[in-house]
Amino acid sequence: MKSGRWRTQTGPLTYLNEATAIWLRDLRGEFRTRYAVNSILMFAVTTLVAVSFSIGSFRIGDAEKPFLYSVLLWIILVFSALSGLSRSFVKEEEAGTIDVLKLSARSQAVFLGKLFFNLTLLGALELIIVPLFILLMNYKIASPGHFAAMIISGGFGLGAGTTIVAAMIAQASARGALFSVLSFPLLLPLMITAIKGCERAADGMNTAGWPEVRIAVAYTVIMIIMSLFLFPLIWEE
Amino acid sequence: MIVKVLLTLWMAAMIVAAFLYAGAAAGFPGQTSRILFFHVPQAWIATLSFLLSMVASCMYLARRRVRADYLALSAAELGLLFCILATATGSIFAKATWGSFWNWDPRETSIVILLMIYGAYFALRSAVPDPDKRRVFAAVYSILAFVTVPFLVFVVPRITASLHPEDTMNPTNPGMDPKTLKVFLGSLLAYTGLFVWMLRLRIRLLRLEGRQEPEFVISEKLKQEGEKG
Repeated sequence: MKSGRWRTQTGPLTYLNEATAIWLRDLRGEFRTRYAVNSILMFAVTTLVAVSFSIGSFRIGDAEKPFLYSVLLWIILVFSALSGLSRSFVKEEEAGTIDVLKLSARSQAVFLGKLFFNLTLLGALELIIVPLFILLMNYKIASPGHFAAMIISGGFGLGAGTTIVAAMIAQASARGALFSVLSFPLLLPLMITAIKGCERAADGMNTAGWPEVRIAVAYTVIMIIMSLFLFPLIWEE
Repeated sequence: MIVKVLLTLWMAAMIVAAFLYAGAAAGFPGQTSRILFFHVPQAWIATLSFLLSMVASCMYLARRRVRADYLALSAAELGLLFCILATATGSIFAKATWGSFWNWDPRETSIVILLMIYGAYFALRSAVPDPDKRRVFAAVYSILAFVTVPFLVFVVPRITASLHPEDTMNPTNPGMDPKTLKVFLGSLLAYTGLFVWMLRLRIRLLRLEGRQEPEFVISEKLKQEGEKG
């Protein structure tokens, strides 16, 4: 019996299989159109160029650099993410594929697949923007491992906090602006944490225990669990 | 009716007592400490209605009764109102005592986030045309927003120390003047009563509106169908 690649399987792994299938499908679609990658990356690069051009690497004194650069970096990352992450669900709505998706996979698997996709996008964004930022702004980082952990855990938090919002705004009118409006209050605690964590890592002082990384990881876990509970309600509505 | 009159009298008595009965606390310029009797209850109501809205949202998601959504919506609306009042009065107090209208004190930060959450909640409600969908989405968002708030408790105190006067104005502090404590608790009660009264009015209005709408639509449809066939 060959009715669909994943429908015939049973057991706890099928959720992950379904999610992976959706993730790979979205990645293929993204490779063909490059819509989300282009909009997020171009937004980020434009902002980075604007910041770098207007501030340069010598305007801010060395004592202020760890904090102010961390603020600038996270403003660039958060708002670039907000400019394009809603794409994952909006495109289903626009292409009219949302009903088929509802039929072909269970709701939590859809959420996980979209979350993986958004995390992939965020990973690509961070991989390009963070090194560029460090180079252009001459950002000296005392403990690189801590810094990388903060960037990665912050990226996970960004994805975990925005994916369910994207699912909601895809079914609303006025999508673009609404996504930022709804996401920002949810992301603000994470953003404040990440700014503080990157400052600490760049500073190199009191880094024991990486407290901000742990807060970001806790935020990610809680948002994913809440989303897994709440997503079926908005998806099957 | 009698409750309404009693509430008015109680509220008026508390306003008079706040200015005439309770003394001004030491260590504050002029009469500024009297803000305690108005600002703190407003902030309390703003927080209470946020909690109430979240609980009502859970109830709506569990049972799908429209009344729970009315409660969630009314609580959010009143929460926004009291949130703005608390921000405005607090800002005036900040100017009088700390020298600037806004300082990003931890409590100021948290109330701004509360304002943004309420703003986003209403933006979401107005952007979803389908009423059932709107109710579910609003409830989901309300719960999500509530979940992120505890993080501020960990995060925000790390940024700056609070400028809020804790010692002379904290009711649990034994050093608080007994007269001040009496008026403060009375005022808290008055504000809570006012909130409950306004909440019930708003819910009644929503129910009347809700009762009218679907019946009207259905009867129009039936009429048209009746005219056709």
